[in-house]
Order: sequence, then C-alpha cells, then structure tokens
Amino acid sequence: MLHLKPHNLLIQKTFSEALEAAAAGAPLTLDRIISDFDYTTFHISNSPEDKALLWLSIRTKAWQSIATCDGNKNGLLPFLESKFTSYPSVSIPSSFESGYDYTLQIDLKSLDAATVLQLSLVKTLIFNYPFHLSFSEFIELSKQQPVTDDFSMSSSQSTSKSLYTIRYRDDENIFIKPSNDRITVIFETIFQDETDKVFGKVFLQEFVDARKRNRSIQSAPQVLFSHEPPLELQQHQQGSTNTDKSRRFITFVLFPRHFQTVELQFSTVCQLTLFRNYFHYHIKCSKAYMHSRMRYRVDSFIKVLNRAKLDEDDEETIDEKNQPHQRRTFTGRKMVY
Amino acid sequence: MSQSLRPYLTAVRYSLEAALTLSNFSSQEVERHNRPEVEVPNQSAELLLQPMHISRNEHEQVLIEPSINSIRVSLKVKQADEIEQILVHKFTRFLEQRAESFYILRRVPIQGYSISFLITNKHTESMKTGKLVDFIIEFMEEVDKEISEMKLFLNARARFVAEAYLGEFVY
Repeated sequence: MLHLKPHNLLIQKTFSEALEAAAAGAPLTLDRIISDFDYTTFHISNSPEDKALLWLSIRTKAWQSIATCDGNKNGLLPFLESKFTSYPSVSIPSSFESGYDYTLQIDLKSLDAATVLQLSLVKTLIFNYPFHLSFSEFIELSKQQPVTDDFSMSSSQSTSKSLYTIRYRDDENIFIKPSNDRITVIFETIFQDETDKVFGKVFLQEFVDARKRNRSIQSAPQVLFSHEPPLELQQHQQGSTNTDKSRRFITFVLFPRHFQTVELQFSTVCQLTLFRNYFHYHIKCSKAYMHSRMRYRVDSFIKVLNRAKLDEDDEETIDEKNQPHQRRTFTGRKMVY
Repeated sequence: MSQSLRPYLTAVRYSLEAALTLSNFSSQEVERHNRPEVEVPNQSAELLLQPMHISRNEHEQVLIEPSINSIRVSLKVKQADEIEQILVHKFTRFLEQRAESFYILRRVPIQGYSISFLITNKHTESMKTGKLVDFIIEFMEEVDKEISEMKLFLNARARFVAEAYLGEFVY
C-alpha cells in the first residue's frame, strides 16, 4: 500500500453494510464511532425516529479554523451542502448532533454506491473549502494582473492579503496563500520523536530533490523545506512567539496546471491534505522494516555465538569410553576448578 | 574488505587471544564471592592488567580491559552522521535488550563506546575461546555492513516515496 486513499474505508464499509441490511428488510441498529487521521472522529448512528435514516456526524480539530478562514462569510456550510445536493439521499438536518461539528442525514431507501463514496470523503471535503477559496481568489488575482512573460516586471506580482490557515493538529498547521501566478501551500510540522526528526529530514530532503532528479515528474509542484518560516508567512506571524527549534516548514508551490479543472483541483487537494499522513506513515514503515531486519540480524549473531559453545553430548561419549575427563561430585554436578 | 580494515581486525584478534587467558578467581575482599574483577571497584591492583586500546581512526576503536578472571571488550562503531548515530544507537540497544541470549553481551556499554562485551572465566570454560574471538571479529565486520545497508535502504525508500507522491501531481 504505497498511497493513502482520501476516503475513509470504515465509513464506506459501514454504509455498505447498512445498505445491504436495509435491502434485506432488517435495518441495522448502528452506533459507531470511527476515528480518522488528525483527531477526526465520525459518529454513525440511527436517527431517533426512523431506523431507515442514518446520521453521519463528524468532529475535527480543523473545523474551527476552516469555518472562520473566510472572514465571517460563513461559506463553509453552503459549500458542503453544495457538495451533497446532487445526491438525493443525503439531506442536512436543521441542527447538528451535539458534540459534533457537522451532521448529514442519509436515507437508506435511496442510498447508492456513489453516495457512499461521497460520504466517506466528507473530511476531505471539509479540508477542501479553504483550497476552494484560494482557487477562486487565484482566478480573480490573475484576471486583475495577468502573468506576463516579461521578467523585468517581476515586481508587479500581486499576492493576496489573506492567508488561509487550517489548524488541523495541536501544533501543526497548513497555510494557503494564493497569488496571481501560483498558490503556495505551506505545512508547518513538528517532530515529537528524535528518530522521527532524523528520518523526517532524510525524507523531506528527498521530496525537495525528487523533482530535480527525475525528469518524468518535472511538472509536479516545487517542494521547499526550511527551518525558518517562509517569507509568505513572516508578514502574518509577527506576533508569533512560537520559536520552537523543531519546527519545520514544507512549502508546495502549485502552478495553474495543478488546478486547471475541478477534477484536478480535487485530486490535488486530496494529495495535499494527506501529505502529512503519507509522510509519517512511511517513516513508521521504514522503522518497522528496520526492526524486522534487526531481529533477523540478532538471530544470525546468536547462531555465530552458539558455534562457540562446547557440545555437551560429545563430552559424554568420551566420558563413557575413556577415563572421565570431567570430574563430578557424588550428586552428579560438574567440578569447576 | 578495505585495505586498513584487515590489519585493524588482525590486531584486535591477536589482542583478544592474548587477553583471553582467564582463570577462576574468588574475591579477595568478600568471602564466597566470585565476581568479574574488571567490573568491581578494586583495592588490589595486581588483579587488573594493562588495558589495550586499538584504534583504526577516531570513530572506530576497541578497548580491551583484561583482568584475572574477566575481560571487557568495548567497541566504538563508526557513526559518520546523524542517521548513522541513530541507527547505531537503535541497533545496539536492540541487541542489549536481548543480552541474555548473547551470554557475553554487557547490557550497558561503557562510557564513550557503542557496545561492550564482558567475557568471564565461566564463558571461556563453557565455550571455545577461539570461536568467541571469531564471534567478536565477525560482529565488528557485520555491524558496519548492517548500518550502512540500513542507511542506504532509508535513502532509497525516501527517494521512492517522494517520487511516488509527487508523481501523483503529474497529469
């Protein structure tokens, strides 16, 4: 499993099960809590009135920052709603389940596989919102100030004043900054573990170098890596007191070719939101591999050491034939001189 | 095997063979105790012999501390950079956690070294001395190989993973 999938397999499975059971005439009684990356929890339960109606609630750490990133326009709820309007079995209840950020109501009678897939993407859809905003802002900015080939006018580059922040973990954030010719996505990350830090450094260095080395992925976004906040962030973070040495900044520079169509936009966002998970997942994988390798190596060392052991049986046979080499006490213990 | 590794290992082998002449020796201070004299704070200097220090370079050294009934062999494994440091640390700790199946491995290395062995007269009585020396020499060869292989693997994996991730953006 090289790549992580943007949809949540457990949600997909739960709904498929519920769908089958409902089709068989015996709707399931569900009360499932499903965890996802980045402290996200889903809750799937029956609606209190009708067993054929299911509720899917989500709580995520990033909700607060995503809901406020558009500057009090409250665009997030309409945005999510629009993602589900083409699926008739999904409706949005007037009030959300308490303790959760967002709830969808699903009618099992008209549920189909495509809807299930869309439902399992709900976390990615929430993360999609700030990206969606920056894509539209990019279009505006590039209209105001079209990109020219004249590099002497490089000072004419205009960047958006807004910086979209997704606070998706305790100390780790994603920043998105649109400008007229590109969109910059910056990951701020912290490594808790000393080993992770070193392994992470190796991995990040390869992310930076991969594009230069391999011609076939030249058109991928440029990746930069630094310990200092990049310039895009510095003007926004003047008051920030967090000067932890272990902070790392990973910058992805998206060019228009990465978000030309809606499908491209979506797959780009899926990839980017999974970046941290992908990256940490592979660090863990390498650790696991090394562990199994060391296990094997220990076994081979023990084999070499066991060669040094005197063979007990050999001594015994000699003892029987010739004079006893080994002196023993009356109880049969060996004498040690 | 590189040109300078051969004489280094030969020197270690002969020094170990010379040092591994152990005899049973009961403690002079505590009655009915028989303990490795190299490990205990010692009042009697005659029980400790001259330590031998063999050094290939500043990163690769062996310290052999002989005494009347035990010797302690400490190895310093090459650690060229941060990654190798971590790998060596992980690997030696992994071995030390399994010290009971290694008989002669010391659970904690002595200060300044990566891994230590403690061979007592009990071990030389129950194992062939020549094979013990072979084991330590083979260990020294294999550890370096293992560490550099793990490092190569890590780099290769990182490269592959990064290219696979970025490849997803190519349309």
